[in-house]
Amino acid sequence: MSGLAARQAALVAALTSGAPVPPGFDARRVEVARVALLRKRAGEVARQWPGLAAALGPRWHGVWAGWAATRPTDGSLRDGWDLARELAARDDLPPAAGAELATREATMRYDGTTAPRPRRLPAVRRAAGTIVVQAAGRVRVLRAT
Amino acid sequence: MRRMIPYGVGIGWRPEIAGFVAALPGLRFAEVVAESVHAHGDLPAGLTGLRERGVAVVPHGVKLSLGGAEPVDPARVTHLAAVARRLEAPLVSEHIAYVRAGGVEAGHLLPIPRSREAVDAVVANVRRTREELDVPIALEPIAALFDWPDDELDEAAFLTEILDRSEALLLLDVANVYANARNRGTDPAALFDRLPLERVAYCHVAGGSAHDGVYHDTHTDAVPQEVLNLVAELCARHRPPALMLERDGSYPPAAELTAELDAIAAASGYPAITRAGA
Repeated sequence: MSGLAARQAALVAALTSGAPVPPGFDARRVEVARVALLRKRAGEVARQWPGLAAALGPRWHGVWAGWAATRPTDGSLRDGWDLARELAARDDLPPAAGAELATREATMRYDGTTAPRPRRLPAVRRAAGTIVVQAAGRVRVLRAT
Repeated sequence: MRRMIPYGVGIGWRPEIAGFVAALPGLRFAEVVAESVHAHGDLPAGLTGLRERGVAVVPHGVKLSLGGAEPVDPARVTHLAAVARRLEAPLVSEHIAYVRAGGVEAGHLLPIPRSREAVDAVVANVRRTREELDVPIALEPIAALFDWPDDELDEAAFLTEILDRSEALLLLDVANVYANARNRGTDPAALFDRLPLERVAYCHVAGGSAHDGVYHDTHTDAVPQEVLNLVAELCARHRPPALMLERDGSYPPAAELTAELDAIAAASGYPAITRAGA
């Protein structure tokens, strides 16, 4: 890796993973950029996952920033998906966000590390109290609780 | 190909404002984010409509990472070239910036040092990209919230050297010029006097807002009067063939977009594109 490549990588790490600001930079300005970047990502994820952002309401920005501060983006679809799964796993996904996650899970196959792909087979998925049934691409949302 | 026929005032096409853009009677120039267009699948309906009307549509890449020390991804270059062919675009554009390093995506356009090493990296990547393109490429200097500690060149010398060595055109974002000058405490119009303005293929005009003591080039706020004044200063020196409104979110009512397009027309002296027969 050339000197420039390593230094570019160190700056990306400071902005996306919580790594220290490389020497010589204006740390205050880099911090402003880091926060602005998180805000921009929040908007992009909220567009992909409107149910998640709306269900978290006033908690959305804090929950997002806490989760994303040390995670570089994998694209807003996967970022929102990973966050929603993590919240669901610790029973912290609001019921109003259940249908959105369960629908995505039932219609697409996502292994957590590569791009989600459409499912070819029927599937039933449940999230935060909502059950979603998908067959031949048609989706039915059933409220379980 | 340095000389372009003047297109006048244009707009960045986005799906959210496709209806508004389609209804602009005098529109001859639009831009679309290159990564949002499929190289082979159907074009978004709104873009097809613009092409049928003879509106020039320029693909604007945001993820090539021309300023990365690593070589550009050949698949991304191929995609940009394919989209340009599909749109029969007169040119393409990208940024003097990097967006990933060491396999990690920054999620944003990041500044590169104004150093000889960085100039070499950009020039090499632009050459790799131009090999696949059938049309010229215009390079856009970004708005940076911070600078690198080891800048060897000032902004004008840095940009001029990149353009000369890569034989690229300039996409001058007037709002970026304003944001950088405001955040660095320099004179925005002074930069115009030192740039090769005859190489400006087109201009971006966008809005922003100040917080945390810094002006942010958000593309989600109204265009400030100061930016419109700079448009007038630029056009008094050398009027670019096209100037376009770049809005990327928090879309306002149509009347506000209309007013911004008319303000750009007034500042540049081009005809308004929002009224039939204008």
